[in-house]
Amino acid sequence: MLRTRLITVLTFNEGVLFRTKLFQPDYRYTSNYVDTWSVDEIVVLDVTRPKDGAEPNRELFFDALKRLASRCFVPIAAGGGIRTMEDVRRMMDAGADKVVVNTGAIERPELISEIAESHGAQCAVLSIDAARSAGGHEVRSKFGTHPTGLKPAQWARRGMDLGAGEIFLASIDQDGSLNGYDLELCAEVAAEVSVPVLISGGAGSWQHFVDGVKKGGASAVCTSNIYHFTETSLKSAKQFMARAGLPVRV
Amino acid sequence: MSVAIIDYGLGNVTSVLGALEKLGFEGVVTDRPDALAYADKLILPGVGAFGDGMVNLHKRGLVEILNDLVMVRKKPILGICLGFQLLAEASEEFGLHQGLGWVKGRVTRLPSDPGLRVPHVGWNELERTADNLLYRDLPADSLFYYVHSFAMPADPAFTIGTCTYGRHFTAALQQENVFGTQFHPEKSQQAGLTLLGNFLKYA
Repeated sequence: MLRTRLITVLTFNEGVLFRTKLFQPDYRYTSNYVDTWSVDEIVVLDVTRPKDGAEPNRELFFDALKRLASRCFVPIAAGGGIRTMEDVRRMMDAGADKVVVNTGAIERPELISEIAESHGAQCAVLSIDAARSAGGHEVRSKFGTHPTGLKPAQWARRGMDLGAGEIFLASIDQDGSLNGYDLELCAEVAAEVSVPVLISGGAGSWQHFVDGVKKGGASAVCTSNIYHFTETSLKSAKQFMARAGLPVRV
Repeated sequence: MSVAIIDYGLGNVTSVLGALEKLGFEGVVTDRPDALAYADKLILPGVGAFGDGMVNLHKRGLVEILNDLVMVRKKPILGICLGFQLLAEASEEFGLHQGLGWVKGRVTRLPSDPGLRVPHVGWNELERTADNLLYRDLPADSLFYYVHSFAMPADPAFTIGTCTYGRHFTAALQQENVFGTQFHPEKSQQAGLTLLGNFLKYA
């Protein structure tokens, strides 16, 4: 039986790992321990912002990705600023198994098809950042700053039709809150697509993981708040999920 | 011992190289006929689409070379994920494409039933259907990482392990010197490394 994945999200700024709440950028700590924590998968994102409108230099991020890939024998999905197939190739060369596209796909949706056709649908992960708005949820681009007018469920559906193999869904409102995922958002999207949905943004307790799957319909639950993760806590998270009836890899 | 990872422009070669290094083997990523002929073991990796995979193999003249090395000279080869599917006669991914044809079987889409999300992504079982050198020192309940939308029900005579997702499919096979896994051993932590190491040491 397919196990519910518990995914760690690592965000990098100028090649340095960013940990929310603990502002101590310690890359080696993470790369050394992420694998032994029996994490099921890793999402790594370069969130370095453009300076004066110019795309940032991603070499430091690629170095970090390479080091991670050489030590972690679990799948790595990588993203950040992907707009062309050349960007995709560079991510793959640095050790990504799949690529995460967000703003690039909103600007030019065919990007999803190009990735799916050359690398397979399983390689194209559509990342959607959504926020609550007056008329329900809305998709935002450019690090969550730019309203797009798109509805998350419809955009996810279109992305899937274009070839996306997974939807990585983040709630801007819940991010970093530790108050739980936006389950309503996740359920909306999960009902609209037949590809796996990865829920992120807001997990603060083991119960939130269970809710993400049972109430949100997610196939995988993500957390970037790794500061409280040690070998024991990941195990205990999985044990909690197992006791709640979810198939997990212990 | 030398290991050649076949370079056809589509594999996740970095991951495979990393796994080899961890196991203490040196791998070379190459499409050069002499380097492939020199290698003791071949690995055909795979992240990509079937049609493109075959086109790239043809473009680099690798089909003839590999036919000779694998089918005539019987060099051990391990196909991973797409590399495993390419061993088949044909695939229905984005139209009908001919494969290398070393293994009987056709690659078809996983069923898209309600409640069954495709691609099949994540950790799942490998149900052993035969004993094999790949399974040495490998706990029977080991889980492996799968990520695919298409799968092959291969000849049961050569299938050494299956997995079920919507339907049964071949998860691992051996036909003489030809080995293949639908899952990614290089992405399956200790279990995957053990299996990969077994291929390198005992195949």
